[in-house]
Amino acid sequence: MNNGLDSRRLKNIVSSLPTILYISILFYIPIIILLAISFTPPRKFIVEWVFTIENYISIFTNPIYYRILLNTIWIVLAATFMLIVIGFPIAYYLARVNRGLGAKILYFLIIPVEVNYLIRVYAWKVILGENGFLNLLLISIGLVEKPLTIFFYSWIAVVIVLIHEWLPYVIVPFYVNLVGIKDELYDAAMDLGASRLQIFRTVTLPLVKPAILTIVFLVTIPSLGEFAIPYLVGGQSGLMLGVLIDRYLSGFQLAIGAALSFFLLVITLALSLVMIKIFGYEALYSR
Amino acid sequence: MPKEIVLKTVDIWKKFGEVEALKGINLDVYRGELLVLLGPSGSGKSTLLRIIAGLEYPTSGKIYIDGDEITNLPPYKRDTSMIFQNLALFPHMTVYDNVAYGLKIRGISKDVIDRRVDEILELVKIKHLKDRRVTKLSGGQQQRVAIARSLILNPKILLLDEPLGALDLKLRKELHIELRRIHREAGNTWIFVTHDQEEALTLSDRIGVMNNGLLIQIGDKWDVYEQPNTKFVAEFIGETNLFKCRVKNIYSNKILAEWKGLEIKVKSDRRLYPEEDIYISIRPEYIGISSEKPLESELNIFHGTILDEVFKGSYVIYSIRLDNNEVVKVTVLSKDADYDPGDNVYLYWRIDKGVPIKE
Repeated sequence: MNNGLDSRRLKNIVSSLPTILYISILFYIPIIILLAISFTPPRKFIVEWVFTIENYISIFTNPIYYRILLNTIWIVLAATFMLIVIGFPIAYYLARVNRGLGAKILYFLIIPVEVNYLIRVYAWKVILGENGFLNLLLISIGLVEKPLTIFFYSWIAVVIVLIHEWLPYVIVPFYVNLVGIKDELYDAAMDLGASRLQIFRTVTLPLVKPAILTIVFLVTIPSLGEFAIPYLVGGQSGLMLGVLIDRYLSGFQLAIGAALSFFLLVITLALSLVMIKIFGYEALYSR
Repeated sequence: MPKEIVLKTVDIWKKFGEVEALKGINLDVYRGELLVLLGPSGSGKSTLLRIIAGLEYPTSGKIYIDGDEITNLPPYKRDTSMIFQNLALFPHMTVYDNVAYGLKIRGISKDVIDRRVDEILELVKIKHLKDRRVTKLSGGQQQRVAIARSLILNPKILLLDEPLGALDLKLRKELHIELRRIHREAGNTWIFVTHDQEEALTLSDRIGVMNNGLLIQIGDKWDVYEQPNTKFVAEFIGETNLFKCRVKNIYSNKILAEWKGLEIKVKSDRRLYPEEDIYISIRPEYIGISSEKPLESELNIFHGTILDEVFKGSYVIYSIRLDNNEVVKVTVLSKDADYDPGDNVYLYWRIDKGVPIKE
């Protein structure tokens, strides 16, 4: 009896070993190295193995980091909010109003994902840039005299490109979630006396919670570390932590870069835990 | 007690594109009864129920509850409530929240809701499950939640659309008894839709049989069983023997028909004509078997040989070949079933037990 249990436990350990090794080597060990470097003095080109919390002190005392952190959070929240505002009605229409169209058109919504990320970012330059389509259009209809620069190299440009980048990842979870709600639930709610608005509030919204959680994990949290989009279109007002980390790392200031990375990681983890606390683990897997 | 009509439908038609789902339904439902609408799938019974609930609107025709027309009222303005085939419980809510839903929507105060939920959960005997999530309940328990969720609104008419379809046979039989008890205690009018004739006979006070969008026969379940008005009803409810006959002679209250060389006597109030082709339906349990020829006069008596027997526990079904080569099914209680295949026997039934049915 005892032997059987032990051998089963052994089997479990052995069979989960590849996963443990994979995650350790590719995730945890690099993170531990990162953590270690973040506690070394801020030197250029070298890592001096002396313990110090200097980097963290400067992160928490230098207001520029706060500003960029708040900027990062603001941009990501604005993008998430807009994504949900745009994505939910599209998904709702395709999943519940015009179902025949939904099955056909969903694929076309996903196609842009297959185009390289950088090419898409550059494409926005053609539209939003100083000599881009939008400015030419505004000039030709006489709304403005000379090209506006607010569209490009700004936080608005980052939000727009983030929306374009992530929209399919918002529509698909909503769509899948909404398609799965049985028509009979709506009939039942109506039969029990609910108006359309009440049905939306008491049936639809609670049942798309899993999609919202998926979106936060799939879109919002990864966006906090976004580097290419703010780097390419963000300019000064679109500066995000990812860009800053890149500047330090490519400038060989590893220690402060590592500290900022770790700082971002903690924020990300905290946000994840808050979401799980609100929605519960189950929402991730099932309704 | 005089029967009072609570629901009346007048000439309800429903078309889905070219398809006629209902072809003129005239239905009276009496207050407090449990009416079962029985029919095969596609007969229009669920469509009729959804029209009564207001989830569909008829193409033409009118519906009245207590004399007030409700034909075009939305579901939430009708005094009906529906229990769906898949129950349609709200998966994200507890038992309490599901049951309280209709009252919460109406803005009733919390302590009134609490009291009503307790009362109704008591009635369906699941008070101990109040705080469970409905997805964690068994099929039978979910059934009770669905009933409670509708009954709490105290609807004049409760509509049940094959709600037991997904359950296994044993549980269904238990719930049949429970449903009858809950119906008795709740005291309102129920319309229950099913394709299962046994369920219909068990549950109902009255049965309405539907086929192809028509209400073919409606009445007390005994009458419908014993006096089916069509071949369809005779075959759909219970087992029967159907003999294709030709009317020979008509007397004051009985007729003589010829059936493949044999003569059958049958009582009939229906207007029939000589040489008319009819069916005569006789239920297997109304036919007796004996090894000696019975002597009574008001009987149809035929000679035959036992072909086969099927043992069903409490009763036995014999297949008997008559002298005109036709096979008749007879059920006999097991305690009286002492015949074997090959035995020569006499079959007999009272002439008032056969039912003549027009083509």
